[in-house]
Amino acid sequence: MSTVVEHDQVLAIAQEVFAAMVDGDEGLLQPWPGELPVIEDAVVAWVDLHGPWPGRAELRTSGATANDLTRALLSLPDGEVVTSLDLVDAFGEVANVVGGNVKSLLPLQGSLGLPQVAPSAPAVPGARLVQELPLSWRGRPLVVAVWAFAQPALPEGTRLS
Amino acid sequence: MGLSPESFSFVADLVRRRSAIQLAPGKEYLVESRLLPLAREEGIVDVDAYVMRVRGGGREADLVRVVEALTTNETSWFRDSTPFGALRSTVVPAVVATRGPATRLRVWSAACSTGQEPYSIAMTLADCLPSSASFDILATDLSEQVLTRARAGHYSQLEVNRGLPAPMLVRHFARAGAGWEVAPQLRTHVTFRPHNLLDAPPAGGPFDVVFLRNVLIYFDLPTKRAILRRLRQVLRPDGALLLGAAETTIGVDDDWVRMPAGVGSIYRPVRPVPGAPAIPQPRTATWSAPTPAVPAPVLTRGAPR
Amino acid sequence: MRALVIDDSRTMRRIVSGALHPLGFETYEAEHGRAALDLLEDGLQVELACIDWNMPVMDGLTFVSEVRANPAWRSITLMMVTTESEQGQIVRALAAGAHEYLIKPFTPDAIRGKLDLLGLVAVEEHA
Repeated sequence: MSTVVEHDQVLAIAQEVFAAMVDGDEGLLQPWPGELPVIEDAVVAWVDLHGPWPGRAELRTSGATANDLTRALLSLPDGEVVTSLDLVDAFGEVANVVGGNVKSLLPLQGSLGLPQVAPSAPAVPGARLVQELPLSWRGRPLVVAVWAFAQPALPEGTRLS
Repeated sequence: MGLSPESFSFVADLVRRRSAIQLAPGKEYLVESRLLPLAREEGIVDVDAYVMRVRGGGREADLVRVVEALTTNETSWFRDSTPFGALRSTVVPAVVATRGPATRLRVWSAACSTGQEPYSIAMTLADCLPSSASFDILATDLSEQVLTRARAGHYSQLEVNRGLPAPMLVRHFARAGAGWEVAPQLRTHVTFRPHNLLDAPPAGGPFDVVFLRNVLIYFDLPTKRAILRRLRQVLRPDGALLLGAAETTIGVDDDWVRMPAGVGSIYRPVRPVPGAPAIPQPRTATWSAPTPAVPAPVLTRGAPR
Repeated sequence: MRALVIDDSRTMRRIVSGALHPLGFETYEAEHGRAALDLLEDGLQVELACIDWNMPVMDGLTFVSEVRANPAWRSITLMMVTTESEQGQIVRALAAGAHEYLIKPFTPDAIRGKLDLLGLVAVEEHA
């Protein structure tokens, strides 16, 4: 039985996105060692997947970490104020790139919604958590999660996660 | 955080003894950038501290990894497209014109690293050889570690982004998880085998084409010459040698002639005169063999325009 | 040389433009395909367009088809720069007339590599 959305594949995607887009270097996004602390003042960036595999890819971290992520992406100097427009654009684009690559793991093509950023993502009844990866970006907690909104038709011999 | 002179000379010594590759002073940045990932794996942020630990520990496995890290070339598909343009526009048409369209072409990709070069050669030949022709590529490297990766033929998204034209990607690869995999059809043309350029040449020749790119730069002059001489033994008399953009045989070994091919050059062996030492050739010798009827060289650079 | 960078994310336009500047490009930006077409219709001349796929108002694939339908814009090299990475999507974009396809995420070096392949960057090693 093969798995459609494997833990290690989602980790590889997240690490590549951070290495290429955010950090310019590998190794700064790692699995979180041990139990993940509660994320204070959370910000969530997500994209929804439409089509035969409705679902969602999301990134969740603290407001302070999301601001630092935005500074890194926009090359803003330390301490420069990050506007909410900057945050939505930069953090949202990270979710967009992660989501697009997660979509490529799925056996049937769907389409990608536009990225959104908010203190929490709207709940979808019956949604099932497919993968949830507690990660450490430069020592700060960040969670990457993939959701399935409906039980998709799985090809024979495969399971979702 | 920098690399101390002692650490650099320890690494340079180790690499020279094991691979004959010279790391001259000034290559500290190379040592640092290649060893940083190994250091990080051990939870050490400082390359100098990592080298001191390897030195103190004296573990064979660590020493092998350091040598492999420094002797592996970063490769990126068609990023330097010149040699592949030469293969397509000059070498292949000449072979087909002399030997006919049903010929079998043998290529040696020496120091193939993680496989981008031999697979790129395979993609080029699959594209430009007549369907009646066939080809085999022998791909060798010193490092078992990179050969394992090369055989797997699995590349990450970031790796396929580096110099692989999109039309080639969709034709010769398939999505595999978060990355891409070389199509089985293309793999059948490539055989991977360990080989050290300081040893006798590999079996499988004589070759029509040898790719030896960005390898000679690591060796001292006598070693460069010895490698080129050994290579000549397995290259057909009408074969072609392709070097890296910044490399040449000129001033190293006089038994080669440089010929323009596309926007770059290829090197052909000088035909030995029976019973006489080879006559040194003028530096810009032109090839005087009968010119086959080939179309005007066309520099193809990826996508149709 | 001039390049038009089309992406609804300002962050991504910044990243793409930032990779093009050291290669000698002057860059112009648009946040969707329609805005980019407006710039071209107003007479902006570019050698290269880097195009996101998913954008509001007009998506990248539609933009590619529109540019290919106008002979006046035949000389523009079209490169998709997108997170859409299924094989079928790449085939669709190439069939619509895109010359190259760069999948996000990418390093600045990857942009340079693609432009080398397209003959849009002088390869100084052979100069």
